[in-house]
Parts: sequence; structure tokens; C-alpha cells
Amino acid sequence: MDERKHTGSPLGTPHGARPDARTDIGTDLGIGDVLPQVRLTGVTKRFGNVLANDGISLSIMPGRIKALLGENGAGKSTLMAMLAGRFKPDEGRIEVAGKAVDFASPREAIAAGIGMVYQHFMLVENMTVAENVLLGQEGGFFLNPAEMRRVVGGLAERYGLPIDPGARVGDLSMGERQRVEILKLLHRESQVLIFDEPTAVLTPLEAEALFAALRAMSAQGKAIVFISHKLEEVLSVADEIAILRRGRIEGEFLASEVHSPAELARRMVGRDVVLEIDRDEVSAGRMVLDVKHLSGEGLEDVSLDLKRGEILAIVGVAGNGQQQLVEVVCGIAEPQAGEVSILGKSWADFFHSRGWKGELAWIPEDRAGLATGRGLSLTDNLLLTTREGFAHGQWLERGRASETTRGIVRDNDVRPGRIEAQAWQLSGGNLQKFVLGRELYREPRLIVAEQPTQGLDVSATEAVWQRLLESRRTAGVLLVTGDLSEALQLADRVAVMFRGRVMGLFPVTDTAQVERIGSLMAGLRD
Amino acid sequence: MNLVIRKREESLGWGVLVVYLGALALAFCVCALLLKMSGKPGFGGLAILFRGAFGQTYALLDGLVKAIPIFLCALGVALSFRMQVWNIGAEGQFALGAVGATWAALTFPGLPGVALMPLMLLCAMLAGAAWGAIPAALRLRLGVSEVISSLMLNYIGILLLEYLVFGVWKDPASFGFPMTAEFASGGQIARILPGVLGKLHWGLLACPVAGVAYWVLLSRTRLGFEIAAAGEGERVARYAQLPYGFLVFFVMGLGGALSGLAGSIETSATLGRLQPTIMVGYGYTAIVVAWLARLRPWAIAFTAYLLAAFRVGGEVMQLELQVPAAFGPIMEGAILLCVLAGQFFLTYSVSLRPSPKAARPAPPANDANDAAKGARS
Repeated sequence: MDERKHTGSPLGTPHGARPDARTDIGTDLGIGDVLPQVRLTGVTKRFGNVLANDGISLSIMPGRIKALLGENGAGKSTLMAMLAGRFKPDEGRIEVAGKAVDFASPREAIAAGIGMVYQHFMLVENMTVAENVLLGQEGGFFLNPAEMRRVVGGLAERYGLPIDPGARVGDLSMGERQRVEILKLLHRESQVLIFDEPTAVLTPLEAEALFAALRAMSAQGKAIVFISHKLEEVLSVADEIAILRRGRIEGEFLASEVHSPAELARRMVGRDVVLEIDRDEVSAGRMVLDVKHLSGEGLEDVSLDLKRGEILAIVGVAGNGQQQLVEVVCGIAEPQAGEVSILGKSWADFFHSRGWKGELAWIPEDRAGLATGRGLSLTDNLLLTTREGFAHGQWLERGRASETTRGIVRDNDVRPGRIEAQAWQLSGGNLQKFVLGRELYREPRLIVAEQPTQGLDVSATEAVWQRLLESRRTAGVLLVTGDLSEALQLADRVAVMFRGRVMGLFPVTDTAQVERIGSLMAGLRD
Repeated sequence: MNLVIRKREESLGWGVLVVYLGALALAFCVCALLLKMSGKPGFGGLAILFRGAFGQTYALLDGLVKAIPIFLCALGVALSFRMQVWNIGAEGQFALGAVGATWAALTFPGLPGVALMPLMLLCAMLAGAAWGAIPAALRLRLGVSEVISSLMLNYIGILLLEYLVFGVWKDPASFGFPMTAEFASGGQIARILPGVLGKLHWGLLACPVAGVAYWVLLSRTRLGFEIAAAGEGERVARYAQLPYGFLVFFVMGLGGALSGLAGSIETSATLGRLQPTIMVGYGYTAIVVAWLARLRPWAIAFTAYLLAAFRVGGEVMQLELQVPAAFGPIMEGAILLCVLAGQFFLTYSVSLRPSPKAARPAPPANDANDAAKGARS
């Protein structure tokens, strides 16, 4: 349990100096004699080459709220999916109430008392609250609506989840629907309730009500797991916090030990150096992107600029406006207020006369459903953004496209090497190498790369980094990343975003500012 | 033992043929069973059907004649299916094509054949394309599912045809029968060799032309690539800057034009006038054909002929065994369902694996829970 490895030094975090914070929370709290409701030991899960969960050990105690904090892609969802019976761990063991289990299906996990509230609710909109809660387990052949409403009403009252059992689910707000999901689990006597980013769909008021209900449930002995990347929330509701980063538990401590969201942010993004990369200087050239006072669609007065030869990293906790910024820069959303100019042209002019070559390339976070068509061959996927270069009027030069695809596949070491392979047959890393090769083939002068190494193994990460650094000779790169180590290794300058604002924009050589990134990400200017 | 279902990495090769033949065999068994249940000879009935479909030269030729409209309509729907736009409206577009051609034939009866015939085909294609463009516009502007709107437009199209034939365009010399006057000879598509090739007519030429054009469009042109790429979904289309709205109009319009062409050929060649009897469901059969053929032109040609031949054979069986006319569509449905089910095995491999040795998870060891559950139920 104490074997967790640290690959690098944490960024000025107090937890490096306090080794006891990393020991098993059960013994640490002096409640070692209480049996954990769920105990994970050395749980490991691989997807191809990618280690999604690496030797995770975790105890989930009855009557406690445990927050699982981590960036997108840190492995939270994989871990919880194993608990909920959707995946099987490759290594390690899961114990429920002291007995080893091996779930073959979510049904078995539910039977063992583990329930999960997903971000997307699974409710029948045309049925009432009571019917939804009791669906599939009414008991006898005949239904008794009044009795059903009474049972569900009683349950709701007991756990402080106010709801009208006779209401139709389709008429309910998101917060109320979530309560129905919770009631479903409570009715099935779930002892462990897992919430996957439960506040993503809630208004602030509804979120408060949810927290109250979480506390009520934990007071009655339920074990609660709360997955989130919102720092304030975690601090306000959790008893214990476990931080997951790159598939490992990188720290586990009591919420009361953390003094501010900034401290938590630092612990979450960390700065462990997984990979060192040589980075030569490239002299800056012409301006390729100039954003002035961009507002609207969740953005507030964003100003930044990017020159050829430079990498500008946008860092911040996911969901703080990065997505909106990218959509404007890539022409998906129109700027509402403020000015955006790309390669010296206004936004409207640029996207009106956009050509395929020598301009803008976008490497989106979603490489399997946005950057490529799953059912298309690699050649067709090449043509997706380069077809104008292979067309004479309406005629498509398929032979030359295949030849070019073969070249990209060879130069970027994309496996398997067959160009007839369809996108879904490639692993994430190989698909990303292909997308990068394709986009660089367009000789862009502005590159937007979103989470370009998320979910990739070390060798693929290195290849992607290398290509991005090389591309500085001809382009400016806007790098949107949740991985601070990536940002600090690759970028010349860093912009920190919080709630749609740029909290700070400074060169990575400014060590004083770099130390403050955690605070800035949490919305604190000082 | 546990069933393990995996997505295939490699295609099945010759196994594809086995799957298809197996699915067809299963479909015929279902049909034989249905015949048996209604008191007719099961496989004997199917034998009559096969003899009726393939037993004589004139039956083979009749199948070919019926395959012409089915093939053209199937190409039309396949084009939109390529883009995952679900055009179920070939039947209505076929009706509008017949109406368009008839309008030209009745309005300009004096024109020579070389002028009248292209005009009729053009009007038919325009009418069919317009009918196909309606669901496209509804989907793009109002978000109406094209499945519903194109299906409902079928009924409107057929009723429009009947309104015209029963009223405005009714031939005064028809003794009250719902039909238009016979087209001038320039407005009728001639038979190729009446004595030798039966009812086979020059409309057949439209099939290779349309088939080759379809193949060239989808495999050699930029537009065809954009259609296939847009079939990967609107998000990918937006990322790749595909003109999604235009493509929806294009596939629905061109698909409608092909179905309209089929309608005009059928009207002009087999009847020489417009009658409600030309609506026999070719547009629906076309959907089955496109799907069975997985949208490939050669397979569409083959499947169109096969289902047309079953129609011919089915008519013979109806006469000899007195089975209801609904048996034809039932058979088409059985074939479609069996082949669709079979296609599962093309995408996934199924194997058996011994069940894991590990003990089943223990149910929550909590007697109080069980007691509570007992009390509630």
C-alpha cells in the first residue's frame, strides 16, 4: 500500500514533505478497525499500450465522502468503470465488504451494492419518478401506484431528496432527475454510491442541494465516491481526497489538510517529468494569431497573440473556456465581441477564403470522432482535410492520395502500416500520429493542438512533441493542454485560463509566475 | 461457457459468401414454414416460385423488365444511404416521375420522338428531384427526420397521381377507367426485339448508364468522396468543412431524379399511358435491394434482378397455390431480416470461451437487506 512511486518532484506542494499523507487513509484516521466497504489493491488496467490505471490501491469507507480528483484522461472513469463492473482489471483485486469479487457485468456490481450515477441519466422520460425508481423490481405481478409512490416518497424523505414521486420524469429539471437516479440506487440498497462529475449538469443551487444530500447519505453510513475536477466543490463536500494523475494515485489526504483551492490545483496538475525533450530556440517571426478582447460564449475579454516560431500553451482546469477559444480560432464559432485576426486577415476574411494548404491546421482532442471518420480508410481520412490538393475540378487523384498516405504512415511510424485500415482499427497513439502527419502535410502556418498527447504512451508522446517542436520553424502553435509538464516543456509562453478569462500570460522562463500557475488556475490572482 | 463477441479486424473473405447464402437459405426456410402453416406445400411452393422465376425464357425477360425500375430506384436510395441520409421516399419520387413524364407527353403530343422523349425524361427527373428535395429542406431547416417526411410524401405523391388520373388527365375515351390517353408513339419507349426479347425495352439502357455514373461519382470524384465522408456524421463533416447542407440536397435531389427516371420509363415503356396500376411498390423493394447490396452498384444490379425475379415467380405461385398477394412483401421482408442478421457475423466474430474459474461475487452479505426486500414485496 505504500509502494506508490513518485516520478518527479511535486511543484512546491506541502505533501512531498508529509509522507504520512500518502499512507493508507484507513489506518491514518485511526479507523483501521472499520472494514472498508470497498478495497482496491494494486488494480491495473491497460488499453493496448496505454496504462489507464497503474497499480491503484484505494479504500472506500462507509460513512465517508471520498473525492477522486484528476484531469480528463487521468484514469478516473476507467477506475470507476471497473468498480461498476463494466471492465475487468488486468491485475489487482477488488474486495467488497472484505470479500474478493470479480464482476462479469454491471448487474453483478449492483447486486454487490455498488451503484453509479452517470453524467448521462438513464431514465424513462415518460414514466413517473416512482415508476423509474422501482423499474424492474416491483415485486409482484400487479402494480400498486399508491404504494409505489409511498415507498419512493419515504425513501426521498429519509435521505433529504425532495421530489414528487408522482411527477413525470420528462417534466423534471436536471437536478431532480439526478435525485431520481440516486433514489434508484438507494432503493437497491447500494452501499457505495459513485457520482461521475455530478455537478456538470446542475445549477449552483441544485449543486448545493446535492451536497446536502451527499452529506445526509454519508451520515447514514453510505460510502460516497465523488469524481470531479472542480476544486472548490471537492473541498466543500469531501472528507478525503485522492488525486489521480496519469493512471496513478499521486496523493491521498484529508480534505481538512488542504488549505486552499490553489494548493489542491498544484497537487492535481503536478509537474512530474515523465519525459525530457531537447528544445532548441527558434526565432520568432510574423504574427500568426492575434486575439483582442474576445468575449461571449463563455469567454471574457480574452487577449493573446502568437508568432511563428513560438508555442503558446493554454493551461487551466478543463471547462474554463479553452474549448470555446479553440472553436473560435478554428472557425467553428463566430467571435461574438472583440477581434480575432489570423495570418494577418480578419476572422471573417480568413474563413471566407480559407485554403487547405499553408494556413490553419487543427488537431482536436477528439481524434476518433472529429479529426477522423471511424469507418473511413486512412487514404480517405487523409483526403478529409487535404482533398482540395488532390482534386482537378471534380476528379480526385486517388492514386496520388494513396501514395501520400503511404508516405505519412511510413514517416510517422503509424501502425499497422496498411493504408486500407480504417480509423477505428488504429490505437489512439497511432491515430494521433497519423492526424498530426496529415495536418503537418498541409504545411500550416498556425497550428491549434488540443490535448495532443492525452492517453498516449511515452514513445508516442515523444513523437508528437518532437513534431510540434519541429513545426515551429514554419508555424506558430497554440497548445491547449491540461498537462502542466507538457506546457512547461514545449511552450515559450503560457496563458492560464479560469472561467473564460486569461488569468495570466507569461514566458515559461518567468519562474516566479510559473510558481503561481496553481493559484491562477484556481482563479486567485494573488 | 461464455459467448465472446469481438469486432473483426480483418474482413471475412469468402466467408462473406457463406454468410449471405446461409441467410438466404434461412429466409427460404421461413417462407416455406409460412406456406406450410397456411396449408400449402412448403418447399413445393418454393419450387413453383423458382420455376416461375427462372424456368422459362419469357420469365427471365420479365424479371429483367421489372428489374429496371427497381435498379434505378435502388441506386437513388443507395446514394443517400451512403451519406447516412435515410431516403425512404423512392416510391413517391417514382410517382412524381411518372406524373412529370405524363405531363410532357400530354402537353406536347406533336413533338417528334427525339425531342419528346428527352423532354419527358427531363421533366420526370426534375419532378422526382423536387419531391426528394422537400424532405431535405425540412430536415435542414426544421430538423424533421427525413425518414418520416420522405415516407409520408410517398402517400401524397401516389394520391396526387391518382387525383390526376381520376380527374384532370382522365381519357374521355376510357369508358370511365382511371387512365390517361395513350401517349403519342414518340412518347413511348420501344421494345428492343419484340419477337425475340419479349417485353424488354430500350429503357434498359438507362441502367448501365446510371450504374456507371454512380460508380464514377462515388469512387472517382471529389463530390462522391464528400458524400461518403459526410456519412461519418455532422461533427466530422464540420471539422472537414464539408458543405453538409448542400450534400443533403444533392443526394436527396439526385436520388429523387433517379427514382423519377424509373417512374417515367415504367410509364412510357410498359403501359404507354399513366395508370394507378404502375404503383406496385418498386420504391420499397428498392430500399431492400440497396441495403442487401450494401450500396455497391454491381451488387445492386444483381439483387435488383433477383428480387424482380422473385416478384415474377411469386405471381405464378399466387395463381397456382392461391396464396395471398401479401406473400411477396413477406418474402422480401424475410430475406432482408435474415441478411441483416447475417451481416452481424461480417462485423463481429463470435467464439466460445470457458467461463472464468473465479467464484461468482457474493451478494451483499446483509440479512437485514433481504428481510427488508421481503417485507416490501
